[in-house]
Amino acid sequence: MTKAARSLGSLMVLGLALGIFSGSLKAGQDLHKVWAIRNAKVLVSPLRPPLEKATVIIRDGLIEAVGANIAVPPEAEVLDGTKLLVFPGLVDALGAGLLKIPEEKYDASKIYSGEYTDKDRGITPEFRAFDYVNLGKSTVEKYHKLGITAAQVLPDRGIFSGQSSVFTLGNGDKNRALLLKDACLGIGFSPAGLPIYPGSLMGVVAYLRQSFSDARYFDMNADRWQKEMKGFPRPKYNPQLDTLSGFAKGTKPVVFFCKNQHDIKRAIGLAEEFKLAYFIADVGGEAWRVIPELQKAKARVLCTVSFKAPMTSFLTKLGKEERERAEKEVYPKNPAKLAEAGIPFAFSSLGTDDPKSFLEGIQKAIEAGLPGEKALEALTTTPAAFLGLDRALGTVEAGKIANLVLTEADLLAKEPKVRYVFADGERIELKEAKATEGEKPTVNVSGRWEITAEDTPKLTVDILQEEGVLSGKMTTPFGVFDFTGGSVSGNQIDFEMNISVGGQQIDLYFSASVEGDTMRGTVVQGSQGSSEFTGKRIPG
Amino acid sequence: MNKRSITGILAGLFVIAGAVSAGAADKPLLLKNGNILTISGGTIQGGDILIRDGKIAAVGQSLALPAGAETIDLQGQWVMPGIIDSHSHIAAEGDLNEMGDLMTPEVDIKDVLNPEDINIWYALTGGVTSVHTMHGSANPIGGRGIVLKLRWGVKSEELIFAGAPLTVKWALGENPKRSNMQGPGPAHYPQSRMGVEASIRNEFELARDYMRRWDEYNNKTKELGPAKKPGAVLPFPPRKDFRLEVVADILRGKYLIRCHAYQAEEMLSIMRLCREYGVKLVCFEHGLEGYRITNELVANGVANSTFVDFWAYKWEALQTMPHSAALMAKRGVLVALSSDNAERMRRLFNDAAKTVRFGGLSELEALKTITINPAKILGIDKWVGTIEAGKDADLAVFNRHPLDPFTVCEKTLVDGKVYFDRAKVLDDRKKAEDEKKKKETEAKKPKEKSNGGEV
Repeated sequence: MTKAARSLGSLMVLGLALGIFSGSLKAGQDLHKVWAIRNAKVLVSPLRPPLEKATVIIRDGLIEAVGANIAVPPEAEVLDGTKLLVFPGLVDALGAGLLKIPEEKYDASKIYSGEYTDKDRGITPEFRAFDYVNLGKSTVEKYHKLGITAAQVLPDRGIFSGQSSVFTLGNGDKNRALLLKDACLGIGFSPAGLPIYPGSLMGVVAYLRQSFSDARYFDMNADRWQKEMKGFPRPKYNPQLDTLSGFAKGTKPVVFFCKNQHDIKRAIGLAEEFKLAYFIADVGGEAWRVIPELQKAKARVLCTVSFKAPMTSFLTKLGKEERERAEKEVYPKNPAKLAEAGIPFAFSSLGTDDPKSFLEGIQKAIEAGLPGEKALEALTTTPAAFLGLDRALGTVEAGKIANLVLTEADLLAKEPKVRYVFADGERIELKEAKATEGEKPTVNVSGRWEITAEDTPKLTVDILQEEGVLSGKMTTPFGVFDFTGGSVSGNQIDFEMNISVGGQQIDLYFSASVEGDTMRGTVVQGSQGSSEFTGKRIPG
Repeated sequence: MNKRSITGILAGLFVIAGAVSAGAADKPLLLKNGNILTISGGTIQGGDILIRDGKIAAVGQSLALPAGAETIDLQGQWVMPGIIDSHSHIAAEGDLNEMGDLMTPEVDIKDVLNPEDINIWYALTGGVTSVHTMHGSANPIGGRGIVLKLRWGVKSEELIFAGAPLTVKWALGENPKRSNMQGPGPAHYPQSRMGVEASIRNEFELARDYMRRWDEYNNKTKELGPAKKPGAVLPFPPRKDFRLEVVADILRGKYLIRCHAYQAEEMLSIMRLCREYGVKLVCFEHGLEGYRITNELVANGVANSTFVDFWAYKWEALQTMPHSAALMAKRGVLVALSSDNAERMRRLFNDAAKTVRFGGLSELEALKTITINPAKILGIDKWVGTIEAGKDADLAVFNRHPLDPFTVCEKTLVDGKVYFDRAKVLDDRKKAEDEKKKKETEAKKPKEKSNGGEV
């Protein structure tokens, strides 16, 4: 059997195992292609007054029509929007919350003996966020609760952190959810803190300078050879410089992770020296300290909302009391000051623990003087324009991707009450905060379980329950896969994982109710559909 | 003393200073009735200094008060040129040693300036108006330093001493050997003083080769001329190497070379190497055994930026004595006393006084070690270092002669602007403490009332 045939065979075995390809598609799955939201108040754009009693038609993942007097197509499923507000889906301009990067320990003895890798130095331009994104249902749901339906994903680490990807946050299939791949290159001023080059901040700046210069030189050399193969020596290929070259030429943007105001100035300096297209990720929240510089450079800022005073800040040096005061009174004004100065900025969730604290941060910024519509702009139209996606995202307009948020109250209110989100035209209903949610577990599912779906071989799942949180792994013929999340509420459990079969990534989401040593529920596989399963605890 | 209130005032000062520097139009300022230690033209008892547009407009007795000028009556206090620290590490962010490689001339302190370093303020309280900030001494050829004016409250680019020549720091001896910072694993190169020097020679050779490749490329391009012949193969440029660019500029004499060294032998040896390559060495840093080789230092025109009574903190720093600075100065070596340390920086005038006590320098020569001598070493003597008409109004005012052990710095001016005024700081501090006490008592009052109400 050829390798390709073998892997196809394995895929089919798993398909069978989970009952996915065996025609057990649940009725109704994937059928709602056409939606009509009627009688809703629609905020088409944060820059315009809302439409009252308007209709939004969604077809095949796109917004087909928006307006007051729009006929509802007969095939549409109607959603009564009488009490609802419709907003454009929010965009997280830059975050790391959707990444699941396996933890790697470095070997200090290797570093001292000189056997270190570029990874140890924090130099991983070839890292692609696309390969490590986790769009599992329970993870994405946290974003939906706050109305976030698209996000740019990239880790803030090291010197060259890697390349970002932008996704819509709907169905868990990242291939379908992808908007932009390898969009931005992340650059940080963070040396590894080891005696390897560059080991100091000043060394990092020098290293970046040399890298941009080398990438352009590499490019020039390769170009020259393409033109003059005859008589011109062929340059040696270098994958790292090849990756950097598009960014060094300024055809693709870089994003500088700036821990403080000085990093921002360093970033602007480097960007101007090498004529880079760039964003300032204001991780330190100190853009307000360098407003004239940002204005002069016409810089675009990705504004964070953790409002922690950086270590270098004068206000930090004054002691705990002054620092805490500054974090309460001074730093939250950063977004308001940027808005006032007319500096384009989008909100970034970097530095916040989860989507919830991201929204809380934005609310703090509003309390500190940022006008609500400016906040909404920084979550819709501005990030869309920054990413070059303004024709697809950011407003509720015909032709754009149907990323919408339906709420019962203002989206940026303390209790946003998001009822539905549409992501890529797919409706996701959000449970109201019911009593069951966060309910104390009434079962303990720790142990080994045997899971059976319709007409399938058995799968083994090992579960560890700690209070309401589940962790564990599933053993399959293709390998062992760890849970990417899981929880228990009452006797309801859910857990999810991302498995890899024949080079394909598949998200699985299990939910079940448990009684004693048996469980019964459904497993959803990305967009493919769902099937029933039962589980039995194996004693011992 | 309450720490919080002090720091609170400093924060206030930072903000205020920033605001003042924004609005530039300065009135003329007349400092009246001071004892002026001009350094270049003797001491003027009961003299005046007129400052206009940040420069010294006139120095003398009974100067006329121009219209609209502000006056400060010094009441017989002592004025000296602002103190210049030619070896420091303040106002920079991050690790100041690039330990990741042996040769790192591509690093530049200018890239990591931190204008909010509180040590700028502390230095002003000790009469310091300019500093030369460098990285550490872990590398034989380390990187580039920068001369700053201590304009507290400005942005980093406004700290830079305009026109000051560029500097590069080298280091010899135990630090580039990394004797005290050896990690596990194989030994770091170089492991000996010979090795350190050889590594510098090797870098010079690499840079010469690099320059040769660029010259070849430039010559070929020139030969082809603007009208390229059809079919002619255009030369392809060599790779730009930021490290060797700096070393090449060292060989071209673009930088003032500062070389960290302790022992006489290594200083003699590096001077020979520099002669061989035609490199001008400007100054040894620390150079604690400099008193042993004064003739050679003078002959090679190399200055010494040293300590007066700080030694024996490691074995290579054993063979010296507090008389070293004075002995060198008396033999014609250009000697500066530098701090290497943010704390010592605030009392360099005390260190200068010690050269009178140890080695018997005259008061004038002692004061030169912290004013005009470091200014000459840094190539900024046409702007600062003495009190003369036309120079920058960088001044330090002391209540007693600055070499008096009980002297206290009262005021520090940079570009004619008062950045530190001791009386005002003490007054502000007291006000802040009173304010705090008042607030605390007010906070207590309603509590007592409500308690009373409940009872």
